[in-house]
Amino acid sequence: MKFLISRFNPETDSKPYMQAFEVEVTRGMMLRDALLDVKRQDESFAFRHSCGEGVCGSDGVNVNGVNKLACVTPVSELKEPVEVRPFPGRPIIRDLVVDMTQFYQQYKAVKPWLVREDPMPEQEILQSPEDRDKLDGLYECILCGCCSTSCPSFWWNPEKFHGPQALLTAWRFLADSRDQATDERLDELEGPYKLFRCHTIMNCVEVCPKGLNPTQAIGHIKNLMLKNAV
Amino acid sequence: MSRKASGLKAWAIQRLTAIYVGLFTLYLVAVLLFSAPEGYEAWKAWIGGPPVSVALLLFVVSVLMHAWIGVRDVLIDYVHPIAIRATLLGLIALSLIAMGLWAAQALILVRLA
Repeated sequence: MKFLISRFNPETDSKPYMQAFEVEVTRGMMLRDALLDVKRQDESFAFRHSCGEGVCGSDGVNVNGVNKLACVTPVSELKEPVEVRPFPGRPIIRDLVVDMTQFYQQYKAVKPWLVREDPMPEQEILQSPEDRDKLDGLYECILCGCCSTSCPSFWWNPEKFHGPQALLTAWRFLADSRDQATDERLDELEGPYKLFRCHTIMNCVEVCPKGLNPTQAIGHIKNLMLKNAV
Repeated sequence: MSRKASGLKAWAIQRLTAIYVGLFTLYLVAVLLFSAPEGYEAWKAWIGGPPVSVALLLFVVSVLMHAWIGVRDVLIDYVHPIAIRATLLGLIALSLIAMGLWAAQALILVRLA
């Protein structure tokens, strides 16, 4: 199977170029396995990966123009030649390895932890099964970055727009019955950039390897803001 | 820009004006298709009647607000140098206000005539 892989070495190249590799496909082969085979052919090739089963979120890449997790993408589903590029819009460190600093900064900015005003109970904070259900489809995010790096609004304003990943997380804590910082969280999101750069393009929904829906979460945040404003 | 410019308010106004512009456009199309006034005098009587006149003014204001928020969004997305963005925003604001005044003037003149 023919692969075209984006290569870039900041010490020797002025811009990225595509290099062709031939990979022998084995049964049940995932894209990550193919990239490992490429690395066996050329050990200077760099890409991130770790768990190999769609849990760690390390090996997000752009495949034939779509952001995917390499370890859960069967090569049999891909059209030849398979063009593998780094995430769009991110500074390239080397080959498929990109700088995700801004992505993590946006995640950090939404305070991804429970905030309690009340004194902490001696044991756990109780939550009804119904309230727990509200977190389904939100807590599963593995921060692979497929969504935010496919979002045009995040491409244009990555330093100011939170991006779909961080906004999904923002709603995950707004929706949590145990969190007591709703007003502060909503105040933080006001203004034209952090939340409202989202124009419901929905690339995020299209690419999420976990099948999550950041656009819907963003809609929930806007509705809650409106509800608390009128 | 990011300090004072609104997020929620702009978004809510855009939604609200979109609904009004959509409904009023349907009404306009329906009138023009099925009972278009014939002749200048009939037109004046139709446009100059208080309900249509006020609804039309509201329509003009809605279109202008909707356009302002939309264009502002495009400029925030794509035009990052602050001097160019401020100049463009200023020019667009002035031309939108001019269009609004012109439409208002036309409507008032029809009512006076």
